[in-house]
Amino acid sequence: MSEPATVLEPLRPTVQPAVLAPLALHYEVEQFLYLEAALLDEWRFREWLELMSDDISYVLLTNTQAQTRDRRRSKQPPLTYIFNESKFQLERRVARLETGMAWSEEPPSRTRHFVSNLRVLEYDDEHVETSCNYLIHRASKQRDIFTFVGTRHDALRRVEGGAGWQVYSRELALDEFVLQAPNLSILF
Amino acid sequence: MDDRLNVRTMVDAKKGKIKPAIYTDPDIYQLELERVFARSWLFLAHESMIPKAGDFFTTYMGEDPIVVVRQKDGSIEAFLNQCRHRGMRLCHADGGNTKAFTCAYHGWAYGLDGGLTSVPLEEQAYRNKLDKSRWGLTRVPRVSTYKGLVFGNWDNEAPDLETYMGDIAWYLDGFLDRRDGGTEVLGGVHKWVIECNWKFAAEQFCSDQYHAPYTHASAIQVLQASPANKGDGKPLGDGQTPRPVWADALGGVQFGGNGHGSAFFFTEKPDANVWVDGVVSAYFRDTYAEAEARLGKVRALRLAGHNTMFPTLSWLNGTQTLRVWHPRGPNQIEVWAFCICDRDAPVEVKDALIKSHARAFGPAGFLEQDDSENWVEVQKVLQGHMARKTDFCVQMGLGFEERRDDGIPGVTNYTFAETAARGFYQHWADMMSAESWEEINALSAAYQKELVHE
Repeated sequence: MSEPATVLEPLRPTVQPAVLAPLALHYEVEQFLYLEAALLDEWRFREWLELMSDDISYVLLTNTQAQTRDRRRSKQPPLTYIFNESKFQLERRVARLETGMAWSEEPPSRTRHFVSNLRVLEYDDEHVETSCNYLIHRASKQRDIFTFVGTRHDALRRVEGGAGWQVYSRELALDEFVLQAPNLSILF
Repeated sequence: MDDRLNVRTMVDAKKGKIKPAIYTDPDIYQLELERVFARSWLFLAHESMIPKAGDFFTTYMGEDPIVVVRQKDGSIEAFLNQCRHRGMRLCHADGGNTKAFTCAYHGWAYGLDGGLTSVPLEEQAYRNKLDKSRWGLTRVPRVSTYKGLVFGNWDNEAPDLETYMGDIAWYLDGFLDRRDGGTEVLGGVHKWVIECNWKFAAEQFCSDQYHAPYTHASAIQVLQASPANKGDGKPLGDGQTPRPVWADALGGVQFGGNGHGSAFFFTEKPDANVWVDGVVSAYFRDTYAEAEARLGKVRALRLAGHNTMFPTLSWLNGTQTLRVWHPRGPNQIEVWAFCICDRDAPVEVKDALIKSHARAFGPAGFLEQDDSENWVEVQKVLQGHMARKTDFCVQMGLGFEERRDDGIPGVTNYTFAETAARGFYQHWADMMSAESWEEINALSAAYQKELVHE
C-alpha cells in the first residue's frame, strides 16, 4: 500500500493580539537577534553555531500560487523543503564553507542581515517565541546582488553563559515563488 | 537541410570542438525554440501530481506556458495557457483543481477539455455570431506518458515517445521502475533562476561525471563518513560503500545516443550516494531483491549517476531529483526540480527522502550550489567577443566509443568521457539544421554508425 508523505504546511499566522512583553525582555531578545545577525555577516560561523541549541529545528519551505477557489478550501499546491536542518547539518554547512572549496562562497559573499518588526508572541521565564521580518542583502563575485525578503518565527531558550539565549526553532518563509538567485549558499 | 545560422560550423563532434556562440546568440536561441523545443518530446508533469478529474498543473514547453489537465475520463490533456481572445495568461496558479478556466481579462471561460464554453455578452456584443467551437484553447497535439512521466510534443511528424527515447528508456527504467506500483512526486516543486544557457545544465547532466570530484569537493569532503561527520552517531548514508567509487577497480559506463546521455559507476552493493539519509539508503538495500528481479543486476545496483533526455529533462539516481531546465532567453534558465519516490515506499522513507533531496539538490543543496555557480560564471565570460570565438574542448575519450556485449545498450564509453556531450551537440546541430524528422533520424543514425565503425 502506498503511504502518503507528511504534508508540509506553510508558516502559521501569528497570534492576535500580540503579547506585550516587558521592555527589558523585548530589548534583550532584540539585542540577541542583532548579535546573531552580526556574527553571520562577519563570517564568525562557529560563534553563530553556539547560539543554536543542539536540538534546533531550522526550516524554510517553498512558496506556491493557488487559485482563490482552492485557497478558500485551504488547499494549495504542495510545498517542499529548502532548508530542513538539525544542529549537525548546520555544522556541516559551516564546515563546507571552511573547506575553501565551496565555490558559491569562494571568494565569500558579503551579507547584511536586517531584522525588523520584532514581536514577542509568547514568553515565560525560560522561553520566548518571536516573529520578525528579515531582509538579507548578499553581494557576491564581482557584481552579483541578491536580496531575500521574508518573515520568520524564532523560539529562544534561556541558557547559562554565552549570549544568554539559544535558538531552538527557526521557521522561515521567503516571499518568492521562483527564487531569483542561482543558489542559497548563505545562512538565514 | 536548412542550416540558415551555420550551426553545423559551430559544432564539430568528430573533432570535439564547440564554438561558444551557440550559448549566447539571440538568433540561435529563437531558432532553438522553433526547431528544438517545438519538435521534441518535453516533460510536462508526473501523473501523480494530477490524480483527480479537474486537477491541473501549470508548466512550460520552452517559453510557452502550458496547463496540463486531468480529464473527466481519466486521460491527460495539455493546452497553451493562453486565452484565444487577446492572448492573456489563462491560469495563474501553480496547480490546483477546477471545473473551468476563466480568463481574468474579459472573462472567456474554457472547460477542462479546452473548449470555449462561455463568452460574456455573447448575445449583445457578438450578436450570437461567434463560433465558439473554433476558439478553444490551443491543444498540445501529442501527449504521451512513460511510466508516470507525462510528455508533450507540438510536432505531429515527430517519432512516438518511446522511439524518440530510444536507449535512454533503459536507463530511465532504473529510476522509475524499481518496484511494483511505480513512482510519485513527493511534495512541491523547487523553482529557481540561473543566469546561464540551458545547454550547460542539460549537457552536464547528460555527460559530465568529470566535474564532480572538483566542483563538489567541499560537499564530498564534509558529507563523507569521517570522524567529524557523525551527527547523531551515524554519518549520512550510513552503511554505504565509502566513496569515491571511481577509486575502485569496477569501472563504469557512459551512454550517449540521439542527444540523450547517462553515466554511472559499477558497484558491488546497492549504494545510493552518501548524501541521502541513512533511512533512505537502507530502503534501497531492503528493496534490492525486488529491483533486481525487475531490472537485472546492473540497473538495480545503479543508485548513483546522471542522465539527460534531450533536450532538457535530467535526473539523478539515488538522490531522486528530476528536473527540467526551462529556457528563458539565451542567458537564463528556470530550474524546476521534483523529488521522485517509489509510490510504495514507507512513509518514514518518504519523509527522509524529501529532506535528503532538498539537502543535496534543492536550491540550498550542498551539491546544487556549486553547479549553478559554474554555469553563471561561464555565461558571464561569454559576453566577451574573443571569449565567444574561443573553442571549447570536448575531446575526452574521443575515438574510444564502443557497443557493449553485456546488455548495456547504445553507444558507450568509460564513465569519464564526453561521448554523450558530443552526441548531445551533434543532435542539437542536426535538429537546428534538418527540415524534417526523417532528416534528423538519418543524420543521427549516420553519426552513431561512424562512431562505432559499424
